Amino acid sequence: MPYAIRNIEITQPLPSIELDPSEQGIALIVRRSDRPLGFLMQPLPEGSILSSDAIAEWIGRKLGVKILQDSIRDELGVTLDVTTFPTLTVAICTKDRPVTLARCLDSLLKLQKADAEMETQFEILVVDNAPSDARTHDLVLSLPTVRYTREPKPGLNFARNRAVQATTTELLAFLDDDVVVDRYWLNGLTEAWIENPDAGAVTGQVMPYELATKAQILFEQRGGFRRGFNKIRYGQVMPHNRVYPCDTGSFGVGCNMSFRCTVLDKIGGFDEALDTGAPLPGGGDHDILYQVIRAGFPLAYEPGYLVFHQHRQSYAKLRHQYWTWGLSLMAFVVKAYRSDPPMRDRWLGLVRWWFANQLRLLAKSLVGRHSLPADLVLTEFWGGVIGLLGEYGRSQHRSEKIRRQY
Amino acid sequence: MNLTPCKVLTLDLSEGIPELQPDPNYEQIRITFWWHGIALGQIDLSSQQLPLSAAQLSNLAAQEIAPAVGDRLFEKGFRANLPLLPPHACEAPEDFDKLVNLQAPLQTLHQAWAPLSQSSLSVVICTRDRPEKLAVCLRSLQSSTQPPDEIIVVDNAPSSDATQQVVTQMPGIQYVREPRPGLDIARNTGIAHSTCELIAYTDDDVAVHPDWSARIRQSFRDSSVMAVTGLVLAAELETEAQQIFERDWSFNRGYRVLTYDQAYFERLKPSGVPAWCVGAGANMAFRRSVFEQVGTFDERLDVGAAGCSGDSEFWYRIMAEGYTCQYEPIAVVSHYHRRDMVSLSQQLFYYMRGHVAALLIQFERYKHWGNIGRLGIAMPKYYLKRTVLQILKRNQPPAKLLLTEIIGCFAGIKFYLQNRQRKPEN
Repeated sequence: MPYAIRNIEITQPLPSIELDPSEQGIALIVRRSDRPLGFLMQPLPEGSILSSDAIAEWIGRKLGVKILQDSIRDELGVTLDVTTFPTLTVAICTKDRPVTLARCLDSLLKLQKADAEMETQFEILVVDNAPSDARTHDLVLSLPTVRYTREPKPGLNFARNRAVQATTTELLAFLDDDVVVDRYWLNGLTEAWIENPDAGAVTGQVMPYELATKAQILFEQRGGFRRGFNKIRYGQVMPHNRVYPCDTGSFGVGCNMSFRCTVLDKIGGFDEALDTGAPLPGGGDHDILYQVIRAGFPLAYEPGYLVFHQHRQSYAKLRHQYWTWGLSLMAFVVKAYRSDPPMRDRWLGLVRWWFANQLRLLAKSLVGRHSLPADLVLTEFWGGVIGLLGEYGRSQHRSEKIRRQY
Repeated sequence: MNLTPCKVLTLDLSEGIPELQPDPNYEQIRITFWWHGIALGQIDLSSQQLPLSAAQLSNLAAQEIAPAVGDRLFEKGFRANLPLLPPHACEAPEDFDKLVNLQAPLQTLHQAWAPLSQSSLSVVICTRDRPEKLAVCLRSLQSSTQPPDEIIVVDNAPSSDATQQVVTQMPGIQYVREPRPGLDIARNTGIAHSTCELIAYTDDDVAVHPDWSARIRQSFRDSSVMAVTGLVLAAELETEAQQIFERDWSFNRGYRVLTYDQAYFERLKPSGVPAWCVGAGANMAFRRSVFEQVGTFDERLDVGAAGCSGDSEFWYRIMAEGYTCQYEPIAVVSHYHRRDMVSLSQQLFYYMRGHVAALLIQFERYKHWGNIGRLGIAMPKYYLKRTVLQILKRNQPPAKLLLTEIIGCFAGIKFYLQNRQRKPEN
């Protein structure tokens, strides 16, 4: 079942790859001088051997333009002044997952240590969200360069707001505890912020941490959390896009995003009725990125700002995730529709498009021309319906109750 | 549809990358990216997306120009799709190591196009009663980096001697008067008066790039290429008429080479070969020998205020006879589109009349039924669809233009029937 995941550095001689007898496919993370340029995956018969020539052909066919684009960019030679990089805190909000958190911190600490010789330096902050024991606390205590803080109110956006309060640096980057940062992560983050000093937020690339189960492979085949390998600068307009900036899904993913703290303050932080944990575990990233744009700030997407995310392993959890995506997207849409009258036409356009698109996916899936099983599409669709029908109000109610408890 | 004035900006990346500021007079901006005079791509931005820093702009530029740079440096892997063919399968560049080790692709590209060709070149400009525009065109030709060996102005049935006066004031330009009205008659007169191996045509409403003559010469490196067409950019996009023309009728066929050979012709023969896609009469060139092999321009076509069918009918003949036409966007001219809607409407009428007449002439000459298929099936379908969209009012140009085009089509049938007796001798 599993797919092998390999890093390929094209400036080095290409290897040949032999799959284990258990592996049924391969994914390549292709880099040029360490910078991620592409992600390729395909199923292969068990025990296949990919020669270096076959790998060269595959990469050339799929990524030839990207490789050339990167070398043109080098030749155009715009140098960036690294000394202008603002101070940075990296916050990880976590709840009762010390093993996963340790893996994430481990990858991050390598960059923090490597940094000692370089110009930039960053702080690491763990926000322990309504913990049921002291394991997270103990873990962080054993790491001298990691700060610990606790947010008793359960809910991701409560924890994110705690991080905002506890931060004194100019930039604040968020990571989910189930990611591992890439060795290029900080370079990508730094570059994006230097290239876009006026930005309110920068979002990054998300690739799979593992492709071990059917659910993980399925999700990644459908595009996963990847957002492409071009740098994108989102501004106040996007010519030829009638629903912009309401197509918030394209802006980025909450497990790897960063903000200028003054902008977060101006917006008023994260909406605590979204990303609340179990009842409505999503929408917070859509909302905050939308608010950044609507507050008049550019938003940049940076493909080199890369993390690896551990996708849901079981099919049941993946299906639940599709449900929550539909639910939380539409809960957020209702909020945005109510609170942002100038954009209402566009929000209606987005809702129409989204539901029509789900139905189209469903039809395609039913006739077998789409790799996503129909039950997942239906689940997301149904989540969307429930999301539209008062979920945001219910969630506001719940978070108000939590606030009163603490 | 945003038809507010659009600024046209030329950016040669070899001269450094600026910070891009919004221009208060324009809501939109079109940037063409160049490297040492080689056009490599373009991008349209809204003024609200500005300012852009040099770093942001160079990221956009690298993304935009990579396909054209690859197309010029590699045989495979970066080819553009030919019109009306399904997208071809992705290929890998022939040499992966070359791709990976390419340190300065733009510099490599510049050097690859540095050696000049010494083929002799005549430039023919057919004109009628537009002396001021003609003067702009002639001055652009005279400031060429490798000027043509001869420049011939064919004054087509002029109503005054203003054109002659302009031409005689400028040194080294041959003036020929052709009293019989008709663009293709004038083009043939140009052939008769020219002496060089290569004959290039441009129009009186364009300004040629300083390297244009040199690039036309270089574009005939492949001996099987009999006709070359080049890139026609919009010189300005100030008015609604110019914007509509650029959006719906643009001469710009992209920044990558397109080769229209016999194989392409045979593949599309059953459904109609889109010869009109090959290029534009404002920027085309031929080997002299092709006129001996397939004849000259059909003088029945392009009688009127605008023409774009005598050239496409001629490309059709070149392909039908087994030769190759090549679109080579390294040869660049800037075209001043008509500024007012009345002129645009008139232009489109003559375009469609000429197009239909050319289809009928192509059928008459070769009995290729694809031409009739286009006329009898594809075009009615196309206009029906546009009429429906027009009624639904979905980002359409004014209804009057659509009507003019349809009337132009019928006029083309009538025109052909009235003139079919006047077959050329060759």
